[in-house]
Amino acid sequence: MRKCIVLLALVLILPLTALSAAGKAEVKVIKIGINAPLTGSIPKVGEGTKDSAEMWLSDIDKAGGLEVGGKKYKVKLVIEDNESKAASAVKANTKMITQDKVLIIIGPQSSKQAVPAGEVANNYKTPMISPWSTNPKTTLNRPWVFRACFLDPFQGRVIANFVTNQFHYTKAAVLYDIASDYPKGLAEYFKKAWEKLHGPGSVVAYESFTTGDKDFSAQLTAIIHSDAQFLFTPQYYNEVALIVKQAHQLGWNKVITGSDSWGSAELVKLAGKDVYGDFFSTHYAAAGAKGATKVFIDRYKAEYGYVPDDVAALTWDALNLAKTAIQNAGKLTGNIDTDRKNVRDALATIKNFKGITGEMTFTGNGDPIKSAVIVRINDKGQFTFFKQVKP
Amino acid sequence: MKATGSLPAGRSKFKIYRDKLLAPYIQVPVLGWLAGLLISTLLETFIGPYLAMVLGMSDVPALFGFTVVLKQPVLIPGVIIYLLIIYVLPIAIGARLTKSLANYIAGKLQQYPFWISAVIHIVLLYVVINTWAVMNDYRVLLAKLIMIAVIVTLSLNVINGYMGEFSCSHPGFIALGAYTASIITVLFFVNDSVLGAALLPPVLAPFLFPVALILGGLMASLFSLLVAVPAFNTRGDYLAIISLAFTFIIKSLLENLQIFGGARGFMNQPNLATLPVVFLWTVLAVWIINNFVRSTLGKALNAVRDNETAANAMTVDTKKTKMTAFMFAAFWAGIAGGLFAHVMRYVNPGSFGIKKLAEVLAMVYFGGLNSVIGSIVGAVGFNLLSEMLRPLEIFKWIIIPLLLILVMIFRPTGLIAFKDFDPKKLLRAKNKKEEDK
Repeated sequence: MRKCIVLLALVLILPLTALSAAGKAEVKVIKIGINAPLTGSIPKVGEGTKDSAEMWLSDIDKAGGLEVGGKKYKVKLVIEDNESKAASAVKANTKMITQDKVLIIIGPQSSKQAVPAGEVANNYKTPMISPWSTNPKTTLNRPWVFRACFLDPFQGRVIANFVTNQFHYTKAAVLYDIASDYPKGLAEYFKKAWEKLHGPGSVVAYESFTTGDKDFSAQLTAIIHSDAQFLFTPQYYNEVALIVKQAHQLGWNKVITGSDSWGSAELVKLAGKDVYGDFFSTHYAAAGAKGATKVFIDRYKAEYGYVPDDVAALTWDALNLAKTAIQNAGKLTGNIDTDRKNVRDALATIKNFKGITGEMTFTGNGDPIKSAVIVRINDKGQFTFFKQVKP
Repeated sequence: MKATGSLPAGRSKFKIYRDKLLAPYIQVPVLGWLAGLLISTLLETFIGPYLAMVLGMSDVPALFGFTVVLKQPVLIPGVIIYLLIIYVLPIAIGARLTKSLANYIAGKLQQYPFWISAVIHIVLLYVVINTWAVMNDYRVLLAKLIMIAVIVTLSLNVINGYMGEFSCSHPGFIALGAYTASIITVLFFVNDSVLGAALLPPVLAPFLFPVALILGGLMASLFSLLVAVPAFNTRGDYLAIISLAFTFIIKSLLENLQIFGGARGFMNQPNLATLPVVFLWTVLAVWIINNFVRSTLGKALNAVRDNETAANAMTVDTKKTKMTAFMFAAFWAGIAGGLFAHVMRYVNPGSFGIKKLAEVLAMVYFGGLNSVIGSIVGAVGFNLLSEMLRPLEIFKWIIIPLLLILVMIFRPTGLIAFKDFDPKKLLRAKNKKEEDK
């Protein structure tokens, strides 16, 4: 019996000594947290985030680490799954900040997770960049929270202006999900912008449905029987596919426009020919891209086998923003609170950052000044660049 | 012959050994276990960070090392050593060493009114939870959410377990409590863009918070009549559909109430749900619900479940019983909702949909029907498991449902079902023969 215990103790102590030796020799690493919806209702978004982040990390590793103030540091990504739920996003952020002690957090992507998670980051004074959240509340009155994309009010204006200038239409129809914060907000901002241009009553049909609905024929019939000249539907790609198909079956043959939530590689797969020729506003266009954007797209495609959607591109930009901010901070003191503060201050003053989704400038608050892109889905089902709209 | 003979012999040897190992612990009272836990958490506070560093971990493993191990399997031996040194050994040794003292104290306490003993145990339990949680804020957040889940599970068990109705209305009750309490606190204590400037100084907030919570609970109670009244005449599947409809009605009501943010959610709740506040409400919930289900009215619930007609014939007022049960359960769900809103400091209707329903039902059926302890075990176990397995991403959603299926196969009514929870018996000294039995 006693022999057994002694043996057990020895076995347990052996790795202990080995590990303690390894612990001392370990170099300091920069930890970057990724808060992504890897499971839940939008796993494709989580996949894009993760793939993009891993590609970015491989670049850093190839360069031997991230150089800050003449010293190279290893970078470690802490990837947490927020299950596409608000409560889990808060848990994940709290864990990364207090347990893993990350320097900066990238994510969450959707506004419904980014708004509550931003509160956590702001309370713990940890910089956070949401690549994809376009809701103004995410960064409002939160000095520690940033984003890498434009805001919903801007996007609503972009679509309204684009349709007015391009087609000279004056009557719009809107179909949106009243139970989901993003489409609902965008529908409102679009309506406001459109009525400012064409006067009250120019949105002739303003129809809503509820998340999970699969049949839109009632709303679409109302839209078709109104004298709307085009339809704006700021829905997610899976819903867009159903909407455009049903609209065409009911006899709609006018233009349909959308917002950045259309910009998923899945859209054309699901909707097929029904979305050809339609437009949406987004952060970047994959087909016909030039320069660094093209390099990114080609590499990503070679690595993972699919064209990166805007989430992947924005995550890439957010990570590079973080990298620039860490480098601009000058040095790492080892005190995590000071370092976080330095990185935040550096991030808030980044000027003319050349991202693959356009140039970004921060002017003290968390929202960048950057332009939007109008994308046309061409006859081959590719997202082609149509027009750039400056703020 | 030899081989077959040695197998049971080996097994019984193991059994004897196990019994020998566990024998001293049969007589450890709850007080002794609490002492062991206290020693363990204190040990973690003082040497935990150093030990973790020596073992190659960057910080104290937050959730018993699960999240660490799933990401870096290299650290498995380190985590095992850590768990042994910090948790297993101190609890085992502590409980054993303090056994006679704890039994002596517990025996002495039996001579005084029961509430003294209860208060002492509760305070000790709080000290243990607090020392464990304050190590980092992630644990604090989890502890709060788990305790809220305990309240929710208990209250749902009143309807689904004790009364035997399959009700799906709980997310609706939670949402009502969450929104009502949030609106009250934001209206009175926060300068909000929608609800205007704070009406009262923030100093008063902690004192009026219970009032806000109770109003949230009462609001949920009031709306629960919408489910309770149809329940007079329907049972089973039909009631399930009615109550499910109720959840959807509440959700779309909140989505369409633009003044409270609609689908975008309602935020800016003051930070009032601290660890002691949530703990106190949880203790209160466990105590009151346990007394309720053990009262005459609680027994009437069981009568309604087993045979409604017979119950009616035996002078049980089934309508009153159903109404009380629904209102009572909804009240506590509302309280839990209010606490949840103030922990997250953000609520949106999307959080109270079908996903929430699946979660609360899973906790009830995992823990055990008709049992207070079962509910506590279900809520704590399910939440801890769900959080510990989160690093597995998609596999988590295979493992957890699989576990639920296994529980349903081997224990169709849940892990600890149909058990009476008697606090007096639980907190007794364990060293003498139980004479009154």
